Amino acid sequence: MTTAGGAIELHGVGRRFAGRGATVDALAGIDLRIEPGEFVSIVGPSGCGKTTLLQLLAGFLPPTVGTVTVGGAPITGPSPDRGVVFQHPNLFPWKSVRENVALGPRLRGASRAERRAIADRYLDLVGLDGFGDAAPYELSGGMQQRAQIARVLANDPAVLLMDEPFGALDALTRERLQDELLRIWRGSGKTVLFITHSVEEAAYLGTRVLLLSPRPGRIVLDEPVPVPVDGRNAAVRTTPEFTAFRERIAGRIGSDAPPAVTA
Amino acid sequence: MSSRAVTNVATAVADDPLASGGAATRRLAPWARRNAYRALSLAVLLGAWWTVTELEVWSELFVPKPTAVWDRFVDGVTVHDGQTGLSGYYLWEHLWASLRRIGLGVGLAIVAGIPLGLLIATVRPVRIVLEPYVNFIRSLPPLAYFSLLIIWFGIGDASKVWLIFLAAFAPVALSVVSGVQGIRRDRVDAALALGASRSQVVRHVTLPSVLPELFTGIRLALGFAWTTIVAAETVDGLPGIGGLAWTTKKFQQTDVAVLCIVVIGITAIAMDAALKALERRTVPWQGRA
Repeated sequence: MTTAGGAIELHGVGRRFAGRGATVDALAGIDLRIEPGEFVSIVGPSGCGKTTLLQLLAGFLPPTVGTVTVGGAPITGPSPDRGVVFQHPNLFPWKSVRENVALGPRLRGASRAERRAIADRYLDLVGLDGFGDAAPYELSGGMQQRAQIARVLANDPAVLLMDEPFGALDALTRERLQDELLRIWRGSGKTVLFITHSVEEAAYLGTRVLLLSPRPGRIVLDEPVPVPVDGRNAAVRTTPEFTAFRERIAGRIGSDAPPAVTA
Repeated sequence: MSSRAVTNVATAVADDPLASGGAATRRLAPWARRNAYRALSLAVLLGAWWTVTELEVWSELFVPKPTAVWDRFVDGVTVHDGQTGLSGYYLWEHLWASLRRIGLGVGLAIVAGIPLGLLIATVRPVRIVLEPYVNFIRSLPPLAYFSLLIIWFGIGDASKVWLIFLAAFAPVALSVVSGVQGIRRDRVDAALALGASRSQVVRHVTLPSVLPELFTGIRLALGFAWTTIVAAETVDGLPGIGGLAWTTKKFQQTDVAVLCIVVIGITAIAMDAALKALERRTVPWQGRA
């Protein structure tokens, strides 16, 4: 598997969107350092700039101010080193599920046999063996989301950027995919940035939780999760330690979210 | 079509009330019902046509009898009184000549329209400069520039193919433009984050995304080509189904004119249906993703 390509660093990062008549500061004053191999959950109310932060890291957007670097090198655009799992499955409907998963290897010129082997391995990993020849729209939402994760993993990126990937799924599917994600991440050495609006999901998955305030998004809390990653299972969700941590963060969301919107 | 078959379908439909839930509703599949209604409407139309011509409401010169049109059809596919077909060619030769011109014109329009549309949609300076011209040509009636084409390219097939090309390429190019503009940003981002280069994005995302709109554009272009074919074949248009239609005005052959209308209409509908079927095969995700 991959060894991470160095720490992700953000210095004084802000992002402003100029709309018609109004400008919106989505992010302001973000200073952050993420070590290789960390699983960082980013939680916050909707509209707090979580997705903007992820798009800066993906290289889809440049910051308005500040610098974003990986291993010291500034991010100038998207890169296969930083895989992105989108909120919605986002598979290409004109390709079969297997062709979707094999796309990354294909783009970098892997042979047909190699591509197929890689795709089938990752389809197997996410529990979709036997669905390679299906069209994406023939799968359920949860299966499509797993296929999207397989597509990103098949590209073997050092960093995984995940934007509320389980947000649209039912509770049962979500919990199963959370456990699968942890299983895949453990021992892979990959860095994960996981965006969610669920405090419980953030705490269950992350080694560290960041809380963003509403517009402009600032980091108002940055804490390690006090539960070892090896012990994460359904029982953990109800331990006093876990619930206390979860409730403390949930409490901070309430206190840090001013009801009035300042222009 | 045998009139007995039409009557049978008509009676089958007659005891199927339009109101849903009748016994007949359950007996007939939806497609069978649809075709039954179409057959019924055709029978009514033919019946009305036959009635007014039998009653001689108008002179036969204005409204030819169905039987006269049928006789001209038979003339068109046989040698009769030492003459071949109509105006010296068999009906299928007329149709084939027109199909060839339309095929060439629309084919060239597709070949030129796709790259032009891609350029207009993706390269801003090209859009600023070229889009007004495409819109300009699109808004012109083809007959307005036909005499220019004849002067430039002669009265042979070249000017006809050019005319159809000019009528057909704007809808193709503009459909590609609107297809590219409708591409979901996150699909492009997904490809880029997987490591796609600019040309790989075009190949794996842009072109397939544009296909549904392109099909719409090609169907529109074919429609324009058919509406243009009579104009294109007014000058030296024989053999040609439009040319044949145009010659009828000289000898007031309204029966041949009606025959040409029916042949053109049926062929255009059949081609559109074939394109729709091809679209369903090529773009099976349309409306589902």
